[in-house]
Amino acid sequence: MESASVALGHVEEHHGPPEANQSSRVDRQTLGILLFIVSEIMLFGAFFAAYFFLRIVVDPPTWPPDPYELPVAVAGINTAILVSSSFTVHYALESIRRGNRNGLKLGLVLTWLLGATFLFIQLNEYAHIGFSARDLGFGSIFYGLTGLHGAHVFVGLMLLSFATIRAFRGHFGPAAKDHLGVEVPGIYWHFVDVMWIVVYTTVYIL
Amino acid sequence: MRISEEAMFRWVVIVGIAAASVIALTLLTTPLVGAIWGLALVGAGAVHAYRWWQGRP
Repeated sequence: MESASVALGHVEEHHGPPEANQSSRVDRQTLGILLFIVSEIMLFGAFFAAYFFLRIVVDPPTWPPDPYELPVAVAGINTAILVSSSFTVHYALESIRRGNRNGLKLGLVLTWLLGATFLFIQLNEYAHIGFSARDLGFGSIFYGLTGLHGAHVFVGLMLLSFATIRAFRGHFGPAAKDHLGVEVPGIYWHFVDVMWIVVYTTVYIL
Repeated sequence: MRISEEAMFRWVVIVGIAAASVIALTLLTTPLVGAIWGLALVGAGAVHAYRWWQGRP
C-alpha cells in the first residue's frame, strides 16, 4: 500500500486516526481544570452558606462563641506563606517559558516546601486550638471549612510533586504545549490560594 | 478570555489586595463595616470577572 502511494508520488505523513476537531478556544486540559475549579467554587460556596447561616441566622451572642478563640496571628503568617507560594509557582512557569530549567526546578521546590509548611502549621494549629469539630456548630464549620481547604492543599501538593519530579527528569519546555504539566497544577494552586484568602478573611477576621 | 496560570496569578494579586483592605478596615472599625466593604468588593469583582470572561478589558 505504502509502496503504491510512493509510486504515485504521494507520501502519507500522518498515521492513525485524524486529529479531533477542537471548537473551543481553550485546550482540553485547561478547560478540564477550569470546569473542576467551577465545581470546587460551588463546593466551597455550600460551606460558606453553612458558615453564614450559623453566624447571621443563628446569631450567637459572641463570635467565636465563648470561651473559644482563633489564633489570628499564626493563621495570618500561614496566609503570607501560602500567598508567597503563588509567587514561586508563577516564577517557575515564567522560568520555563524563558527556557530556564533551573528556575523551574527552584520555583517548584520552593512552592512545594511553602505548601507543606502551610499544611504543617495548620495541623499544629488544630492540635493546640482547644476545641474540636464536635464543639458546637462553630467547631464543626471551622473544621469543615479549614479542613476542606487543607484537603485541597494536600491535593495541590500531590500535583506539584508530580510536576517537580517530571521537572527534575528533564520534562517540559518553553513552548506552551510543552509545559501544560506545570501550568495546570499552577492554575489549581492559585485557586487554592484565592480560596484561602477568602477563608482566612471570613473565618478569622470578620 | 484567556485562561492561563498568568491570569489566575493576577486574580491571586487582586483578591489579596482586596482582602488586605477588608482586613485593615475591619481592624480599624468593626467587623460589620469590613463585611459591607467586602460585599461591595465581591460585587465589583463579579463585574470584573464577567467582563474578563467576555474578553473585555
